[in-house]
Amino acid sequence: MAFLELTELTKSFGRVTAVDAVDLSIERGEFLTLLGPSGCGKTTILRMVAGFETPSAGNILLDGDDITTTPASKRAMGMVFQSYALFPHLTAAENIAFGMSIKRLPKERIKQRCAELLELVGLGEKDRSYPHQLSGGQQQRIALARALAIEPRVLLLDEPLSALDAKVRVSLRNEIRHIQQQLKITAIYVTHDQEEALAISDRIAVMSKGRIEQLDQPEEIYNNPRTVFAATFVGTSNRFNALVVAAAEGRCRVEQQELHVPPLTNIRDGASVLVMVRPEEVNVQKEGALPNSGANQIAGTIILRTFLGPFTRFHVHVNDETTLTADVPSQYARELYVAEPVVLSFAADACQVLPTDSSIKEAEKITESEKV
Amino acid sequence: MQTTQAVAIAQRQTRARFGIDKVFLILVLIYLTVPLISTLVFGFTGSHGIDFSTLGQIFSDKDFAQTLSLSLELALASTLLSVALITPTIYWVQLRLPGVRPLLDILSLIPFAAPAIVMAFGLVEVYSGSNMLINVLSLGLVPLLSNPPFNIVNTPPLLVCAYVVIALPFVYRSIDASLRSINTRVLTEASYSLGCGWWRTFLTVILPNIWPGIISAALLTFSTVMGEFTLSSLFSIYTFPIYLNQTGQEDPHKAASLSILSFILTLICVLAIFLLVRRRPGQQGEIELTAAK
Repeated sequence: MAFLELTELTKSFGRVTAVDAVDLSIERGEFLTLLGPSGCGKTTILRMVAGFETPSAGNILLDGDDITTTPASKRAMGMVFQSYALFPHLTAAENIAFGMSIKRLPKERIKQRCAELLELVGLGEKDRSYPHQLSGGQQQRIALARALAIEPRVLLLDEPLSALDAKVRVSLRNEIRHIQQQLKITAIYVTHDQEEALAISDRIAVMSKGRIEQLDQPEEIYNNPRTVFAATFVGTSNRFNALVVAAAEGRCRVEQQELHVPPLTNIRDGASVLVMVRPEEVNVQKEGALPNSGANQIAGTIILRTFLGPFTRFHVHVNDETTLTADVPSQYARELYVAEPVVLSFAADACQVLPTDSSIKEAEKITESEKV
Repeated sequence: MQTTQAVAIAQRQTRARFGIDKVFLILVLIYLTVPLISTLVFGFTGSHGIDFSTLGQIFSDKDFAQTLSLSLELALASTLLSVALITPTIYWVQLRLPGVRPLLDILSLIPFAAPAIVMAFGLVEVYSGSNMLINVLSLGLVPLLSNPPFNIVNTPPLLVCAYVVIALPFVYRSIDASLRSINTRVLTEASYSLGCGWWRTFLTVILPNIWPGIISAALLTFSTVMGEFTLSSLFSIYTFPIYLNQTGQEDPHKAASLSILSFILTLICVLAIFLLVRRRPGQQGEIELTAAK
């Protein structure tokens, strides 16, 4: 049995179902991220685990014990909030000591642990500062130390980096990951930032409309999304609504253009599918240059060129309805300019094919009939 | 060159603004201090010039000490009771019943709308009659408190209860504004997650952070009760404002001196409270008198 188990966890607010029968198992020492757009139910799950919301149905098991109805104050879950939630009337050290003094630990032990935690988060000299005297990043570090001080069974982080500026966000997320690995603590992290989720997690649960769309390792989520939502929400992608012409050969049709994709096993000919290609898989060449090795070639005109440091992003107008995106390493992008006619190419293997809702239903029907 | 001119113009403008500010400040100070100074001069002027004998008369008057101490007791009791009742209630409503807040907002304004005389007659009516509906609605408290041995009709405890109602707008507005200025819900949840229960969270996390609001509420309640005349008069309880009124009718010089003494006493209370708030660490909070009215 996993360390933390959520079974059929449901939360409704009136007629709105925020979390819809979610099953989730988290191993001891794992860093799991709940990723999704606002309103997808990720924060509600975290709040139910913390004990701030009572589930409408389902159970929460921690190390085998049912804690579904246990009050938040008895759960020993350290929580880090988006708004830091430091107690304004207490100094940094007093904030960290707060939970330990509630547990009635000896004063000497509290003092020693405060100093250790302040060092751990790199703010040893700020022990006497009040929250309003600290920057946002420093406040969140103190909040993290405060949550760790009670030696929580699970560390819960609710969009802890959202209120910080980009640079601090990256450095603090690395610190959070480092500390989590160092202390081998189980953590649930909630975010809507896919980059953050991909960078920090052992596993990611991509959520939509109160359900988990895909639960996998970051690489899998990015490279092999299982649902259209996961494919569109995580990362940037070029998407084509296509019809399968020959599934076994991996041939699809988008309007008049044929697309070569990997051979399809679970999808029948004639089914409508979503073909997805990541921008970094797309090559851009000047029209008339040497023939490209990519199986798929599409002609177009560059309409926007954005220099992003290590790579340059091109927006290429293909036809009135389609604009494709290609990320080219900047050293190969020097001679490509706006308004230039180009050829985009990408390999068949670079394409991910997902059945759209109707084709999923069709596939289910086929499976059912085959069973009979 | 242009820069120098611009600086000179800016300086002139600042000087001009500063001048107007000063004029307004002086006008306000005159408006506030002239009545006080006039009262002071009138109070200590006898038929042969300056005369401090009224002070001696006041201090030797038995009623002065008696009524002042009763008013102080009433003010203290009303302040403590209203803050102790209303603060946890507003916290609870903000946390668990946010939908009820508009109702509380309206309820808190009723004492402003209803004159004190209406309340006095209402209280007398409720506690002197034996209306079945009121007995049931008050969960048996009204019959219990209007008959011996717990009778509170026309006694200082009933006056304290009435003062709590009168103070409701000040206390509610002031504390509600303070609670809204801090992130009450998140601070509470942070405290829960660290192992703290509801009451301990209220006492150790919420209360210290709304301290300026509580002090404002306390200050306004205290000063309102110290000067309240109508209710105590209708309940026939001999408080300091009634003593002041009676004295004024007999000897206006003595009444003026008493007013000054009362003012000084209130001023000491205000200064003490300001100092108490300013000395608290980690807070930039100031007493929010504006929030209350």
